Amino acid sequence: MKPKHLVSFVGAVIAAAALAAPAAAHHSFAAVFDGSKTVTLDGTVKEFRFVNPHALATIDVADDKGVVQQWTVEFDGRLNLTNFGWTDATIRPGERVKISGNPERTGAPRIFFSKIVRADGTELVRGGDRLNAIEEDRRLRAAQRAAASPAK
Amino acid sequence: MTRFAMRLLPVLLALGLSACGSRPPEAASTTANAVPAPDLAGMWSDPPRTALDQFCFMACTETGLKHLAALLDDPANDAKPYGDLSRDALQHQTDDYMRPHMTEAGLATWPLDPFADRGYLYCEPWGVVRQAFAPHQLEIKQYADHVDLHYGEWDAHRTVHLDGRSAPSDQAHTPLGYSIGHYEGDTLVVETTRVTEGDGTLQVWDGRHSDQVTLIERYRRPTPERLELTATLTDPWALREPIELKKVWRFAPDQEIGPYDSCEPAAAQASEGKAK
Repeated sequence: MKPKHLVSFVGAVIAAAALAAPAAAHHSFAAVFDGSKTVTLDGTVKEFRFVNPHALATIDVADDKGVVQQWTVEFDGRLNLTNFGWTDATIRPGERVKISGNPERTGAPRIFFSKIVRADGTELVRGGDRLNAIEEDRRLRAAQRAAASPAK
Repeated sequence: MTRFAMRLLPVLLALGLSACGSRPPEAASTTANAVPAPDLAGMWSDPPRTALDQFCFMACTETGLKHLAALLDDPANDAKPYGDLSRDALQHQTDDYMRPHMTEAGLATWPLDPFADRGYLYCEPWGVVRQAFAPHQLEIKQYADHVDLHYGEWDAHRTVHLDGRSAPSDQAHTPLGYSIGHYEGDTLVVETTRVTEGDGTLQVWDGRHSDQVTLIERYRRPTPERLELTATLTDPWALREPIELKKVWRFAPDQEIGPYDSCEPAAAQASEGKAK
């Protein structure tokens, strides 16, 4: 079955790849997911379980003929999602979403979460604030380097 | 004030100050010989949000950190994604530090087959070499005669005995081993032996270790918000000479560790799949 809303396999994952591996740390990330690919699902949330070691959601995704396939989305653990301000109500059953993530290597309908786009266009990006902080640290480091360099 | 009252006053003051402290009543602020123990207690979690600390999310080496620092300080790299630089540093760390330290036997297991990962296949918790560098939460509780190390990953608990004992000669080997410790100035030193064979750390030591592995961890808190681990690992089977790994956490008093309640063994899922 080819899901209608399986939008794309996008190439190499963005800088977030450096942050991806720690997420699935109770097992080897590489054992389960292909970090070099991204899948985007367009579907309806059936269930969201805010648990450890990883939160899980099931998404109903319809193919061209309207046949629904259920996908599983694996997230960071509950406590780490809490750091991002998530709660058990952040994703609600019945909500229409586009969810992107790294697909399972076996081809099973399962991804590791990287981004959600809600129906109203708002986004939740995994590790976004951490990436921003690291880039800010790099800018600060570059500024200090420039300040320390003798003027030419 | 009577002489008795004057003698009693310091005791009462000490008791009062102790009661106002933030530690639980049974926790210790001093070691047996009354040398103040460093305060490492509390909840710690993912590293401080800097480019160098992020590199030590799992574990890192001085070799890898120096390489990453050089990359970050090269203006030619300012526009490159952080992920590219950290991957470069990780590869350098592997090629210039880790692999040269491995024996032929250790290298023969490198890299580990991710599909043979027992955590993934069977939800089997980690051994101490991987657990000590686990990402996410580490809660430390200090007592007079022991320290509890509680990890978010696998909800794992380690006990570090501080009462001067040695590992019992008949102590069986277990995944988390047997840990004894003491304080050296501002540092908690933990020695772990009696470990069953297992996997190395995530990301850095991508091979197996034997049941001869020993781990000496040194924890210190250079600032109130930062906890650092420097660990020396020895294994005559897997390592030509000891290796030194590092890790860092950020103080996270608002976090808590919850139950590890939804691990799904992939082996069972595969069996179900075949059955269908």
